[in-house]
Amino acid sequence: MIRYTISILLLVVVAIIAQQFIPSLTGLYGSRFLLLALVFLCASVTVPVPVMLLLAFVCGFLTDAQNTIGPHGGNPEVYTRQVEQLRFGYSILLYGFMGYLMHGIQPLFRQGQWQFSAMLSGVAVFLYLLVEYLLINFIRGGLAMNQTVLLKIACSAAITMVFSPLVFWLLFRLADWSGYTIRMDRLKKAKPRTLVA
Amino acid sequence: MKPLNLLALLLFLGGAAWALTQNERSVREIQATYYRAISPFLTAGSALETHARSFTDEVEHSKILEAEVEAMRKDYGRLQLIESQLRTIEAENSRLRRSLDFKERTKFEVVAARITRRQPSSWWQTVEIDRGGKSGIAAAFTVVTDRGLVGKIDQLGDYRSSVVLLTDEACQVSARIEGSPEEGILSGQRVHEGSPKLRLRFLSRDARISKGMRVFSTGRGGLFPADLLLGEIEQVQPGSLDTEAVVIPSVDFQNLGTVFVLTPEKEQP
Repeated sequence: MIRYTISILLLVVVAIIAQQFIPSLTGLYGSRFLLLALVFLCASVTVPVPVMLLLAFVCGFLTDAQNTIGPHGGNPEVYTRQVEQLRFGYSILLYGFMGYLMHGIQPLFRQGQWQFSAMLSGVAVFLYLLVEYLLINFIRGGLAMNQTVLLKIACSAAITMVFSPLVFWLLFRLADWSGYTIRMDRLKKAKPRTLVA
Repeated sequence: MKPLNLLALLLFLGGAAWALTQNERSVREIQATYYRAISPFLTAGSALETHARSFTDEVEHSKILEAEVEAMRKDYGRLQLIESQLRTIEAENSRLRRSLDFKERTKFEVVAARITRRQPSSWWQTVEIDRGGKSGIAAAFTVVTDRGLVGKIDQLGDYRSSVVLLTDEACQVSARIEGSPEEGILSGQRVHEGSPKLRLRFLSRDARISKGMRVFSTGRGGLFPADLLLGEIEQVQPGSLDTEAVVIPSVDFQNLGTVFVLTPEKEQP
């Protein structure tokens, strides 16, 4: 368990570095493949709640360390209406929310139906981006929502979801390597021994 | 809920509350530490990316590149000549200003930087450059190209920094319209459809402005120097209280390659 958790944490670090080199797709409304979010979502369904929350904290913390923009600054007499920024740490809560969402269908995953988890990862990314965008609108005032924004969110979610089987495969290999047993109830019943993925 | 899960949830919420209550300085320190930690990986990745790109470019466009290098050599010689002429004019101008007792404008040195990453996050308009604190750059320094204002430095690392682009909603510039007494605040828009456009707000209700007029920075507000070209008015939208204008940025943000960071000129001994 500890070795598997450490290997997932290392995978998270690799994902956030690799994420830096993944460009946005201008042809698809500026959407992007969210590798870090995908690694978290797929990993969260394979671990118990406490480890999922640890991963949510680490991923949210790193995301905000990477992306938070500083205050505008300048003379407040000239820049009287400065744009508010989301507070550092908000992503931790969003990741926690996504993690619990994935855990909601963990019983299906344990029955061997990982396809549902793969699809839910797309839904979770869609909700994550939507909530993040709505939060920006909330703190800055006004609701600037149009088709482009929705398509950007939807395309990002779809692109991310497509790669989820690959990440699940990687996680099963990691579990295999680290001697961690991902509980698969149905398969456990079918075979006398638990599946060591 | 199992006791262990409950305990984990409480610890998680405590951690989130701790992160959310960090002040600006602590956040900057966290970001600087984070940048220092991942900087070697980013540098290595960027170098690898550049090598791969230059290799494919070389293979595909070697003849084109050869012609471009030749043209650049010619341009370089011509620009050297122009630069020497400009130096003479600058020196003459400086002498005249002093003699007229004009207040000399703040001078800047420039640090050339290459864009290494574009818009690494979903909602913020930012880029990353391959210069940082070791090159004399500091937070909030102005970034320009030969076509005008690009943005300002946000996060600062030793060898890399991020730039908030003018097209981001959070980047505001005090601006004036050429040939008009109008001044306002120029900023990016939250949503971009197609090429990014800017919005110039807080102009007077009866502003006499029209399409095609150029917009420059005023230098007020302590962030950006004066007279930097920002863009050109595309559309004027009169309102009941004030007038707003849609501005096309002068810089082509889709094809940014090399930028210049303005650093304060060092004192001559």
